[in-house]
Amino acid sequence: MLRNRIACLSIVLAIILCQPFSVQADDSEIIKATKPIQFGLTAVVLRENLRFLDQWAYYLSQEIGQPVEFVRRRSYREIMDMLEAGSLDFAWICGFPYVQNRKPEFIKLISVPIYRGEPLYHSFIIVHKNSPYQSLDDLKGKVFAYSDPDSNSGYLYPQFLLAKKGIRKETFFRQTFFTFSHAETVEAVAEQFADGGAVDSYIWEYLKKFQPELAKKTRVINRSPVFGFPPLVSRIGVDLETVWQMEKVLKQMSQDPAGRKFLDGLKLDGFGEAKAGLFDNIRNMATKTKNTHPRSKAGKLTSNVNAALKE
Amino acid sequence: MTWFNLSSRGLSFKLALTITAVVAGVAFTIGVVIVTVDWQQFDKELENKSLLLAHSVSVTAAEDILRNDHWSLFKSLKLMAQKGPGELRETTILTAMIIDPNGLVLAHLKPDKNPLGLPLAHDNKLEDQLLTAVRKMRKPGVLSGGFGHRGFVEGVSPIYSDEKLLGFVRVRLSYKELYNKALRSAMVILGLTMALVVLGSMLGAAMSRRITQPLTALAKGMEAAGRGDLLNISPVPVSNDDELGIVAMAFNKMAKELVEKKLLEEQIAVSEKLVALGHISAGVAHEVNNPLAGMMNCIDTLKKHPDDPELIARYLPLLDKGMTRIKNIVESLLIELRTEEANDMGGATSLDDLKGIVESEIGDGNIEIVWENHLGDDVVINRKRVQQIVLNLLKNSIQALQGKGSIAFRTFQDGDCVVLEVADNGPGIPQEHRKQVFDPFFTTKNNGTGLGLWIVYRLVESMRGAIEVESDPGNGTQFMVTLPSQQVRT
Repeated sequence: MLRNRIACLSIVLAIILCQPFSVQADDSEIIKATKPIQFGLTAVVLRENLRFLDQWAYYLSQEIGQPVEFVRRRSYREIMDMLEAGSLDFAWICGFPYVQNRKPEFIKLISVPIYRGEPLYHSFIIVHKNSPYQSLDDLKGKVFAYSDPDSNSGYLYPQFLLAKKGIRKETFFRQTFFTFSHAETVEAVAEQFADGGAVDSYIWEYLKKFQPELAKKTRVINRSPVFGFPPLVSRIGVDLETVWQMEKVLKQMSQDPAGRKFLDGLKLDGFGEAKAGLFDNIRNMATKTKNTHPRSKAGKLTSNVNAALKE
Repeated sequence: MTWFNLSSRGLSFKLALTITAVVAGVAFTIGVVIVTVDWQQFDKELENKSLLLAHSVSVTAAEDILRNDHWSLFKSLKLMAQKGPGELRETTILTAMIIDPNGLVLAHLKPDKNPLGLPLAHDNKLEDQLLTAVRKMRKPGVLSGGFGHRGFVEGVSPIYSDEKLLGFVRVRLSYKELYNKALRSAMVILGLTMALVVLGSMLGAAMSRRITQPLTALAKGMEAAGRGDLLNISPVPVSNDDELGIVAMAFNKMAKELVEKKLLEEQIAVSEKLVALGHISAGVAHEVNNPLAGMMNCIDTLKKHPDDPELIARYLPLLDKGMTRIKNIVESLLIELRTEEANDMGGATSLDDLKGIVESEIGDGNIEIVWENHLGDDVVINRKRVQQIVLNLLKNSIQALQGKGSIAFRTFQDGDCVVLEVADNGPGIPQEHRKQVFDPFFTTKNNGTGLGLWIVYRLVESMRGAIEVESDPGNGTQFMVTLPSQQVRT
């Protein structure tokens, strides 16, 4: 299939070279073919591991037969916007952005990573290891670090906890800020710049392994129920051939020794099947949290949520 | 104690010490100036560095403050505080912070002590003063806190957005490195000063040795010259052509000339003695010859007329007179010879014995004597010699007065000397005779021998004393003899 495609391209190129006055028809096809696959990364992985990501991108390129490029952006919002605008072909996003409403839908689940045997993870509320805080209640009037306003583990879960207790989250903490990276949330708490923070359990465990001097300065005071692991999505509109190739390569990584190496680096067991229902509890949490907003019109929101659920 | 007594130290020591002190002083002054200039330059650099760092944070801070992005503010502080390349690596950032216009913490390098959104943790007055000063600042500037090891300089940069004050960036740099740097240069300079002091003292010692060696030789030579030991002056080594060399050469020349002069003087003295001896011999011959001729005539006449009683009666007194005169001359010469050998020591009151002799000498004359002897018997004198001096002077005065007038004798001790004064109110010595007063056989008197004052002069000279004569024609004459005490006895 792939070979045929390259052969086709060669012929096209030959035709272009031979007939310089009739190129217009095939111009876009060439650009599309030579432009690398754009794969967006967010706070769910350590974006700072440049060499590792370059090697992984190279591995994916080799396996798929097309160049793959990782694209790093600060926030989920930027990645989602880029997906919507068509600048990205794939992205590793979070359960929370996934469950948010999109009209029309522009992404499609392709895989959910398997972490410690399951496609699940937690949100951790962490504090400095020397601090006296034992629960979220103790953090009243303190400084709290979120990772990203569209992060499930790094924002939605603590918001939900406060909402559930009927606490006004706007005034509960003295100060809050976003680090746009789970790793930096751990850093902020370790440095005592923030008294508490909410992080992805996967990243926290990852740091505990690879940057223990940072993670060991923090202590987990709240462990969320399990959530669906941040999933990988493709943009609706990317040619099915490429999507299928990507899906296949990712899912086969655990069987391939070279792929296994990258999975070890990521501390993942593999990339598994995507099940939309995995993120239902995140969706519920988002709904409940939104409804507690002082200025929210509960009825309208509920209907929206219901509409979304029906989809 | 004596160590500090500089005046008693040799020139070589003083010179070496002075050179050392000068070298040390100059080295120290230069050192202090260098350290001060260094410090000021380092200080300026540190101030600029703190300002630059504060400014670098403040340029990005405005946007982060407006977005409430405290994490980015903190990260920018952290990045700024990371050890930079080169010079920056040597600077310790004590602390850095971003505060809002009310002094609340927006980000702080020590977040555990200075939590976000709270007032700064301040535990002392200095911090309060600094915060007040910072909050008044509207332009980037530098504040300073303390000095020395624990001191610091703080760069402050206000954060503006559209001319609205959003906060302040404060970057505090330690003086420690600067202080250590200054301390290091001070140590180096101290070491250099010490080295220069050692060199200086060595140089001083060498120089002073070079200067004082010929000086010491000169001093020895001069001492020898002072003692009159002219033949024992060894020539001072002339090392080079400088002032000291010139002095040494001049001294050597002088010493040589002194030796020559001394030899010449000795020759002159010998010839003078011979002349004097000739003079005396001629005088004696003449003085003895004069009466002898008359006496020979008398004897011849008496031989021719041995039985003429008239002649005998006439010539015998003449012979007697002539013989007496010759006897006087011989006696005077003998007296001198005797006294030169005499060594009859006694108390000074023995001079009073002369008073009787003098009074009998005056006889019927109308001469008054004023006698003042202020010496006690504790002053021991060579009786014979001193008596002879005084007696001769008194006799001279009696003869000068010609039976009428007054004589004063006074003797007293003046320091190391014994002074003898004999004065009369006689006719005085005419100007033309002044120089001859002490010459042998010089006399203005009919029956004088001309030896009295000459003997005085010789005696005084033999005792290393001095004799002065003051005479005012018509008003009298005064002789003053000064004898060194130790010589009075010998």
